[in-house]
Amino acid sequence: MKKALIDYTLRIRLPIILFVGVISFIGTYFFSRAERDNVGYSPVQPISFSHKLHAGTMQIDCQYCHAGVTISPYATIPPVSTCMNCHAIARKDKPEIVRLTNYYNKGIALPWKRVHRLPDYAYFNHSVHVNKGIDCSNCHGPIEDLDGAMQVSEFTMAACLNCHRNAPELLQQSHIIKKGPENCYACHR
Amino acid sequence: MVNNLKNRNPSAHETESIDESSFDGRELRKSVTEEFNLSEMSGMSRKRFLALMSASAAFAAAGCSNYKDQGEIVPYTKKPEEVTPGVPNYYASTCTGCSQSCGILIKTREGRPIKIDGNPDHPVNRGKICAKGQASILNLYDPYRLRTPKHARSSGQFEEWSWNRADELIVSQLEETVRTGKEIALLTRAVHSPTTKKMLDDFKIRYPGAAVYSYSLFHDENRRNAWKKCYGSGELPVIEWEKAKIILALESDFLGTDGMAVEQIRKFTDGRNVMNSSAFNRLYCVEGALSLTGANADYRLRLRTDAQLEFVTTLAKELGGSGPAAGLSLKEFAQKHELSEDILQNLANDLKSCRGEAIIYAGSILSEEVHIAVNYLNDLLGNTAVFSQDHQEVSLLPLSTQGEIETLVEKMKTGRIGVVIHFDSNPLYHLSRQFDYAVALKSVLLSISLSESENETSRNCTMVLPINHAFESWGDYQVRTGILSLQQPVIAPLHDTRQKEAVLLAWMGKNASSVETVYHTYLMNRWEKEVFPLFRPRVDFKTFWYSSLHDGAVEFQEQRNAGRRFKSDVSVLNNTIPVAGVAVALTESCFLGDGSFANNGWLQELPDPITNIVWDNYASLSPGTAKVFQLNNTDLMEVRLPQGAITVPVLLQPGQADNFISLSLGYGRTIAGPVGSDVGVNAHVLLSKQSLSGTRVFTGAEITKAPGSYQLVSTQEHPSLNDEFTKDLHLKRKIIREGTLSGYEANPAFLHKDKSESMNITKEVEYPGVKWAMAIDLNKCIACGACVAGCNVENNIPVVGKEQAAKGRVMQWIRIDRYYSGTDADPLLSHQPMLCQHCDNAPCENVCPVAATNHSPDGLNQMVYNRCVGTKYCSNNCPYKVRRFNFFNWRDDFQNGYYEQQPVSLVHNPEVTVRSRGVMEKCTFCIQRIMEARQHAIEQGRELKGSDVTTACQAACPAEAIVFGDMNDSSSNIARYRKHPLGYSVLEELNVRPNVTYIAKLRNKSNATTKK
Repeated sequence: MKKALIDYTLRIRLPIILFVGVISFIGTYFFSRAERDNVGYSPVQPISFSHKLHAGTMQIDCQYCHAGVTISPYATIPPVSTCMNCHAIARKDKPEIVRLTNYYNKGIALPWKRVHRLPDYAYFNHSVHVNKGIDCSNCHGPIEDLDGAMQVSEFTMAACLNCHRNAPELLQQSHIIKKGPENCYACHR
Repeated sequence: MVNNLKNRNPSAHETESIDESSFDGRELRKSVTEEFNLSEMSGMSRKRFLALMSASAAFAAAGCSNYKDQGEIVPYTKKPEEVTPGVPNYYASTCTGCSQSCGILIKTREGRPIKIDGNPDHPVNRGKICAKGQASILNLYDPYRLRTPKHARSSGQFEEWSWNRADELIVSQLEETVRTGKEIALLTRAVHSPTTKKMLDDFKIRYPGAAVYSYSLFHDENRRNAWKKCYGSGELPVIEWEKAKIILALESDFLGTDGMAVEQIRKFTDGRNVMNSSAFNRLYCVEGALSLTGANADYRLRLRTDAQLEFVTTLAKELGGSGPAAGLSLKEFAQKHELSEDILQNLANDLKSCRGEAIIYAGSILSEEVHIAVNYLNDLLGNTAVFSQDHQEVSLLPLSTQGEIETLVEKMKTGRIGVVIHFDSNPLYHLSRQFDYAVALKSVLLSISLSESENETSRNCTMVLPINHAFESWGDYQVRTGILSLQQPVIAPLHDTRQKEAVLLAWMGKNASSVETVYHTYLMNRWEKEVFPLFRPRVDFKTFWYSSLHDGAVEFQEQRNAGRRFKSDVSVLNNTIPVAGVAVALTESCFLGDGSFANNGWLQELPDPITNIVWDNYASLSPGTAKVFQLNNTDLMEVRLPQGAITVPVLLQPGQADNFISLSLGYGRTIAGPVGSDVGVNAHVLLSKQSLSGTRVFTGAEITKAPGSYQLVSTQEHPSLNDEFTKDLHLKRKIIREGTLSGYEANPAFLHKDKSESMNITKEVEYPGVKWAMAIDLNKCIACGACVAGCNVENNIPVVGKEQAAKGRVMQWIRIDRYYSGTDADPLLSHQPMLCQHCDNAPCENVCPVAATNHSPDGLNQMVYNRCVGTKYCSNNCPYKVRRFNFFNWRDDFQNGYYEQQPVSLVHNPEVTVRSRGVMEKCTFCIQRIMEARQHAIEQGRELKGSDVTTACQAACPAEAIVFGDMNDSSSNIARYRKHPLGYSVLEELNVRPNVTYIAKLRNKSNATTKK
């Protein structure tokens, strides 16, 4: 092999290849961040329930269905019987409601696809946040505008800490909110 | 490779080619044929292997395709009204772990029980429960539990049957037995449930010729019979220990295994309150084996059990009783048994001066004569004043006598018993081998065992029927007059099991179609007819029933004829039994009960409070006796009595009486499940026929050294008491600090007279809000181990097994250290619960390279598992050695993954991480409980208070020795303890500033003895 070719490869081509490689890795890393944190995840549900219709148009309070949110660490997915409080009468003839009624009458478990998930070692508590006056939309976004439930914000430790550190600025709708705890035992035990 | 192996034929030329002249070819041939045993080899071909591999690869790829998938959330279809996911429910019930029937509160999450605590509304145990009760939850989820009925084929193999098939066979057999005039024998352990008793009576009516036999390994019959002889008819009185200023315990471990320990601990430690030191009681203990009561006594005298009668008559003579003749004088007695005459004299003086405010209490292991003599002494001194006027202990169903069991065995052998039903009993293990029950059982045509899990008896029965665990059962219990305790199921049966009472009711043809509810209905009917009218109620029965279920226990007026006039002739007592030779006492183990808890790893691994030994029983003997027989620790010894002989490991126990061996029952189960089988030695072979009525002390034992050695595993070694260098190190290092009551009263600040202030080179951290702290009152702590068990359940502590325990890898977050001082013959014991001290200047935090352990603003030393990389630096730097490292994933490591079998994982507390291999862990001050209290405070819009939080160990402690709270709240209990003049922290000079304060123990010594 000619010396000039080796020289060219080492001096020009290799740095360019390395540069392009590193840049594309970094670019992909940052641009795919939201994707990897599941932002925008909105799976197909067994019943095509619309938050937009119920919470948006009809203005039903979140807590009518997610009734555990003020007393439990979990917001709780409503039991099928909660749906049937209205749908025993309302829109009985619609195909989705027929399917829903079928679940209820036959006592079949309704396997909703999970949208939001924290790692097992993080102990998030809905009741503490809601009772402090933090609105659901701060984490779950404008859910009343979405048909299917979708993850709109990152659920990473950085996101948690960002809010715990800057709560008064970030959550301006409620001026009484102080900073959240930042110690480990606040979430991990 | 697979094909190669398959084509290889281990016959002919291969084995022949071995040169047999150069070495023994048989061994090689054996190994060759073993290795290539075709029948054991996988029959998979290469093609199939590749096909499977590619299929699984394809599945793996398919599984990865939606990496966003988060699984499913499945809500209830129709949600039960009282269940909210994430919010625990509590149900009142009754513990059936032993005969005391404590009221319990079962915590359930999403319908599964996860924690047991005492029921605060229960009039007897008042919100507390012992270690056995705490750990009993593991038995519910035991994967070894029986799941379906089983029937023994003629080959001895068991096959699974349906309940219907079993019922049909049994009912026809029962009818047949009645027709042929044979007897149906039902063998049960002691019955404490009035409704079960009624059901058994009904069974006898339905099947004439049925007879009920009951036995109990540990019971109060000697005490009860003595009471009857002394006071005519009448039930045993309940003792109000809190009224007694002087307590003399004779071979009675009333703080450990003798009677209703939870209540007795509470009432005894009422007289150990440092906030009211003038009301201290004084405990004398005279015993042969060192018990918890002896360890907590102000004065302890070691006296072999068979000399107790002599002691009581000596005492009676000294106290001026005209009763038993031929008593020795105190001096003679002291000389004869090498006891301190001063202490004896002191005891006599105390008993004389505290007439009516003292109690002499003889242990249930002692003979009827001793109990009669003790009754006489108590009567003489007017001590009947401390007997409760409100409640007595009741016995619902008299236990079978020795003669009755002998007749039963005889009838079984001669074919006069058609059916024998073991009603949750295990006679093959419990009864003396002299009864020959095993042989008799074989001659019964149909033998039935109702049991939760397989045991020695069920293995030899023809029909094995699985029964519900207590948490799946209905019931009511009565151990005292005027108190009934209710039991309700908190979970549907996990397996195809039935409540034991319902099984019998089904055979009686009572609504056999609804066997799940039949006993519930039966119980309610009895309550409606028999219990409800006692209350002269103003409400209807349903309201009464539901409120009783809610409270867990009801109290009502019940008068039994309580004999109050002493009328026994004690002069005939034979107190001249010669005390000679070697005596053996078979005692109740602290945590295994009668062996029914053998398969519970948490209890097997709970260190014995005195010896700290886990996973074994052993023969304790005094160092002096051991020298005579040339025995030492790690030796094995043969104990031979007329009824049998066993070989047991030897343990040299300081404080043990000479020529006196004590040995725990409840070990050595052969069929108890993978955890409990073959743990320890079966001492039941030393039981005689008389043991049925309570004789568990035998004289004339021959002991010889047996070949071999045995390693007992203790969680705490202790240096010799004879080595001047290590002697009393715990006192010199100020780990244990103690004083006497009189010394404290003369100078309350005696503990801190040479205290020096340590200085910090760094800035003090301020804790403006809540700051968590704990105080442990060593005056109240009697080392019962309930806190350890409570912590185990609350914090998902794994079981590690004996082999790992020997390496010091026991995972318990709280341990109870035991220190000896004094001499081998007369040791002084100090106990100290040791847990993470949550030091302000925590040495562990400084050395963690990844900051996995650090400090919280409310004063907690935090441990973050998902950050820990397992360097173990923190544990090395911890002066208290309270950090525990996960050398394995213990659930996987122990007994080939025993604790990974379903449904064991359901026992875990969902609010606490299940730690995996390679991380450090330690006490968190129950952070999950703090966070729950914080959640409720925020819900109610108020600040979190220290009194909102109760740690698991605090909740469990029957003595209320553990105080927890916010030390910055000056009105709180913890602040008072923290400032108490007796408060000290361990290793104060290190200036690590622990947040756990110990209250120094005061010994209530008499001035007469301390001056010397």
